[in-house]
Amino acid sequence: MTEKKKGNAFTENPLVRAIGVQKIVVVFVLIAMLIIFSAASSAFRQYSTLLSVMDCTYYLALLGIGVTFCLITGGVDLSIGTGMFCYALVGGFLITQKDMPVIVGILATVFCGLLVGTINGLIVSRGGHAPFLATLCTMMIVRGMGAIITGNASVTWPSSSSPIGWTRRIFKMDIGGMKVPIGFLWVLILAVVMSIFLNKTRPGRYIIAIGSNKEATRLSGVNVATYQTLAYVISGIFTGLAALAYSSAFQSMIPGGGGGIELNAIGGAIIGGTSMSGGSGTISGTIIGVFLMSILQTGLPMIGLQANWQQIIIGLVLIVAVYIDVLKNKKLV
Amino acid sequence: MKKKVLAALLCAAMTATLLAGCGSKAETPADTPAAEEPAETPAEGEGEEPAEAPAGDAGAMSFEIVSKGLQHEYWQAVKQGVESKAAELGVKVNFVGPDSESNIDQQVTQLENALNAKPTAIGLAALSTDAVKDQLQTCLDNNIPVIGFDSGVPDAPEGSVLANCSTNNYNAGAVAAEEVYKAVKDRIDGTVRIGIVAQDATSESVVNRGLGFIDKFAELAVADGHTATVVGNEKYVSDSKCEKTDGANVILDVRVPSEVDSAKSLQDVNSLLGEKDILALYGSNEHSANAIVSAADNHSEIGIGDDKVIAAGFDSGAAQIEAVKNGILLGAITQAPVQMGEKLVESLYAAANGETVEDIDTGCQWYTAENIEDPAIWDNLYGK
Repeated sequence: MTEKKKGNAFTENPLVRAIGVQKIVVVFVLIAMLIIFSAASSAFRQYSTLLSVMDCTYYLALLGIGVTFCLITGGVDLSIGTGMFCYALVGGFLITQKDMPVIVGILATVFCGLLVGTINGLIVSRGGHAPFLATLCTMMIVRGMGAIITGNASVTWPSSSSPIGWTRRIFKMDIGGMKVPIGFLWVLILAVVMSIFLNKTRPGRYIIAIGSNKEATRLSGVNVATYQTLAYVISGIFTGLAALAYSSAFQSMIPGGGGGIELNAIGGAIIGGTSMSGGSGTISGTIIGVFLMSILQTGLPMIGLQANWQQIIIGLVLIVAVYIDVLKNKKLV
Repeated sequence: MKKKVLAALLCAAMTATLLAGCGSKAETPADTPAAEEPAETPAEGEGEEPAEAPAGDAGAMSFEIVSKGLQHEYWQAVKQGVESKAAELGVKVNFVGPDSESNIDQQVTQLENALNAKPTAIGLAALSTDAVKDQLQTCLDNNIPVIGFDSGVPDAPEGSVLANCSTNNYNAGAVAAEEVYKAVKDRIDGTVRIGIVAQDATSESVVNRGLGFIDKFAELAVADGHTATVVGNEKYVSDSKCEKTDGANVILDVRVPSEVDSAKSLQDVNSLLGEKDILALYGSNEHSANAIVSAADNHSEIGIGDDKVIAAGFDSGAAQIEAVKNGILLGAITQAPVQMGEKLVESLYAAANGETVEDIDTGCQWYTAENIEDPAIWDNLYGK
């Protein structure tokens, strides 16, 4: 959009290089969207809108952080959408139907994510399956599992007024009658930690290296399979965390749901500059991209756009984002 | 090497826990061989040609009822109604159902067993009409009347099912409209907006619950001298019987998400709340009502009172029941499964006596914080 006019002087600025052209563009688009929506709808300017944007961002951001690792290895994880539902169903089921302590439900939720992530990683790295196919299969499997384990019934996590309803306040605290979207802080902390892990630690650098050139990485003595698996394990754990964020915002979920959510998270990562072909990507970019997705999802209905038009706009935004990625690979940006 | 062994062990342990979890679940249904029970009941019912049983000879009557499920509280409520009415009429009933709504084979076996029991009449909520066509023919050949219930036996062969006992969703939506209208009618001053949050524009029950609400609300408003119009989702706008007036002061605004996704429905509620003239909200099933409940966590304007946005729901999921008790939702509509069971037995009784039977609307109930504990209502709620 705007990046073309700015030309080379802009793209060769060292500061711009350091942050990344795409991220800067996306931040500007994000700000532009905020201005447009605020001007067009008085409702958008309300505090409650901020709260609901946040409700719809936490789980997407957590899914996004996890799947960014898979994308960077040149893979993808399609099981995160239905997986998130499945893990939230299992956790909620244990708490409300089996009367287990809330903490057990929370641990089970994250553990399910870890388990499925490990399976994904092993199928891809040891089994040699294409990531797209492998995770497409687990996507179906977890969708079925969620329904079987809960006996086809919807699950409702404890509500905030119940004595064990504190899970709903992990992401949205109630301070003196005012709702504070504290989850933003948790997501931010996790993003910083994972960003450091990705860029400053040996496993993180290996994950990036696998995405740039798997064969060269293998030849330089790195156990490619292990680090490839690790990327899917991270994605699984973050899917489990996203399941907690989701149940905190929406409380109840229906077996078999969640399909399509993975594409919002992957879309967010791509808007934020993570390459579908692997080898490059940042956690901060993903967070910004996911925010753009939620702002669009919240703002578009508020300016009176019907549901199907919202889908079209979000699709167009993704095309532009991928186009920037293509240009980047050609070294034009 | 050590790492690999450790990894393998870890995986094995995880798989084992997973399997253990599933295993214990799978055993439960096996312990209750529902399919074998029917065999005992008929022994006592002597009528070889039951259809000829004289009117009032209730003791000789036995009804077999094959439902779409058994464990879920909704079916338990139907069963409760069936059993109480059967006791009242002095007839024998046997109520069975498959372990889940995907177990078509199991249901067919249960229906076979029911036929072998030579019942006076059969009640059926079929999972698949195609799968039970042979059995329906057997019933016809042997003069055993069949009455459908709940979703009944859709597209059943002509004459094989005499009548259906089910909830009329359109009427149920209208009941919600009456209750919401009662609560807000004195506040209709200038332009007001009533938000209808619907999960989709394709499923028969969801659409009728929405249209019933829209049409009734518009009718009531027009009767009080207001003008009404319907905006939003095209399907609802075009199918509504409400006469659309330009510049109407009661706007019925229908929002349908592009897919069934809680986040999308939450945004629908948010954008409706963003409209300055919003007066009330109606969520036409558990999904949509839950979206209103989730939005209420951020929007304190939803609630009961003259300065609040009045909200009503449909169905009785756990979150909804809680919200009704806490005064977030004014109330909600529930189907009446207990009454469905009662009406079913009445219809079977009438059919067995050779009387003509007709489709029956088994009704619905409006529950609020005040009446929710009333057993007549409480027994009908499934999410408690």
